[in-house]
Amino acid sequence: MQGSVESHEVTFRFGEKLALEDVSFKISSPFYCVVMGPNGAGKTTLLKIMLGLLKPQNGWVKIYGYDPVEDAREVRELTGYVPQIVNIDQRVPITVEELVAMGALSKTIPPRMITRGIKDKIREVLDLVEIDDPSALFTELSGGLRQRALIARALIKNPKLLLLDEPFSMLDFDMKCQIAELLYELHKKFKIDIFLVAHELSPCIQLEPIVILLNKRVYAIGRAEEVLRLENLKRAYPGLTEVPAGFILGEDHA
Amino acid sequence: MLNMILLTYGLAVLSGILIGSISMPMVTSRSIMFALTMLHSILGGAILGIYLNIVLGMSIPVPVTATLTAIGLSILAAELIERGFAEDVAIALSVSIATTITIVFSFLAAYLSSTAIAEAWLYIAGTSAIATIDDFSRILTASIIVIPLIHIISRELKYIAFDEDGAKALGLSVRFYRYLFYSLIALAASILSSTIGVLVTHVILAVPGAVALRFSKRGSPLISYLTAIGLMVAGYLFARVINIPPSGGVGIFSAMLILIMMAWRRHA
Repeated sequence: MQGSVESHEVTFRFGEKLALEDVSFKISSPFYCVVMGPNGAGKTTLLKIMLGLLKPQNGWVKIYGYDPVEDAREVRELTGYVPQIVNIDQRVPITVEELVAMGALSKTIPPRMITRGIKDKIREVLDLVEIDDPSALFTELSGGLRQRALIARALIKNPKLLLLDEPFSMLDFDMKCQIAELLYELHKKFKIDIFLVAHELSPCIQLEPIVILLNKRVYAIGRAEEVLRLENLKRAYPGLTEVPAGFILGEDHA
Repeated sequence: MLNMILLTYGLAVLSGILIGSISMPMVTSRSIMFALTMLHSILGGAILGIYLNIVLGMSIPVPVTATLTAIGLSILAAELIERGFAEDVAIALSVSIATTITIVFSFLAAYLSSTAIAEAWLYIAGTSAIATIDDFSRILTASIIVIPLIHIISRELKYIAFDEDGAKALGLSVRFYRYLFYSLIALAASILSSTIGVLVTHVILAVPGAVALRFSKRGSPLISYLTAIGLMVAGYLFARVINIPPSGGVGIFSAMLILIMMAWRRHA
């Protein structure tokens, strides 16, 4: 198995609308990678292509040597996905246990029962993400705990690669830092590769991630201090304004 | 006489169990509008079946035509959603086809047969004021097929409703579960429509699931079952007392329950 995640000249359009154009990068395991870009930059589209949920019109993606569409089973085994919290229907009455079980049960066939073995695994991953009550409803959790529960669902599969869509959105700063540190701990302690997309970098900049600056195409890739230069940011964020105290970006990307 | 009463209330209880089983997953998976508009397909299919039977002399049971039409139009709508159409657009297209079938074939049937419209009306209002063994057998058969399958796939339906992309990323075949679920709703709703009528099926389908979610944060299936059975039995009893069709009695109790829920919500 190749120890890298690679995108080669990936182009994707929703009808006439261009989402990604000639996106190429290669990052070798172990990595803690942040894809950064403004809203509409194609970050989520890139994640969906990596998961095999979308097929690029041009180019290809390899996850440790596997094609996400043709080798869907292998890619599913290797990856854990954490969706953007605004994209899930929080009106559905689901408990933390049911949610986390979803990750383990997907490997079984219907009727999917939560066995004692699965309950033990759930307990293990919930301890890891510091959630005490598996019987709590997802809707009753705080924003930070919701994010942790979604991470636990991905972790129960023992993934090699964790793909996260905006894990810091709708959290206060302390929570953002806690989630960033949890991900870093998973990366360091359990050798899990982290690939997250975010429109802000502040909570994890201190953790020295690899940064891919994306706005439909890749503007820069490398260590945070190399990538987050004004000239790169100005190209990726068209509304960027420079002020003496730092940056104010066009949207809420400061 | 006693046998007829037992059969009628037995049918009410069994219909309640069937409704209770599909109502809860319909509410949690946000499929209520889809299910309600499916009743247009059932009506269209029933009228098509009546036309085929009475006018063309084909001996296809009307519930079969109704079920197949409902399943076909549901799968069409589900496929459109899968292909990226907005849900309301897919539903509107399905309803417009069903309504066209209803209008064209009710006109043709009425034009060519004096009994066709009366038979169609029985489908709308229901026939179960005088329940027959045949009615009971149909509901029983539908229950035996639908209830276990709904329970087997209920966890997957919940996951898909909660996070469709996550479910896909985990390898669940969202398209398969959606087709199966809509087909089961179509089967249950068309068999219910052939006995208790399209109107009352329309009225009662959403209420038990909504009540279960309102009075239990976790959406207790037991509350859904009990509500559906209670509404059916109370509706049938009330209809008998004031001498109206059972669909009217069930409708009145369902409306009352919705009003109580609204008052409860305001109070809470």
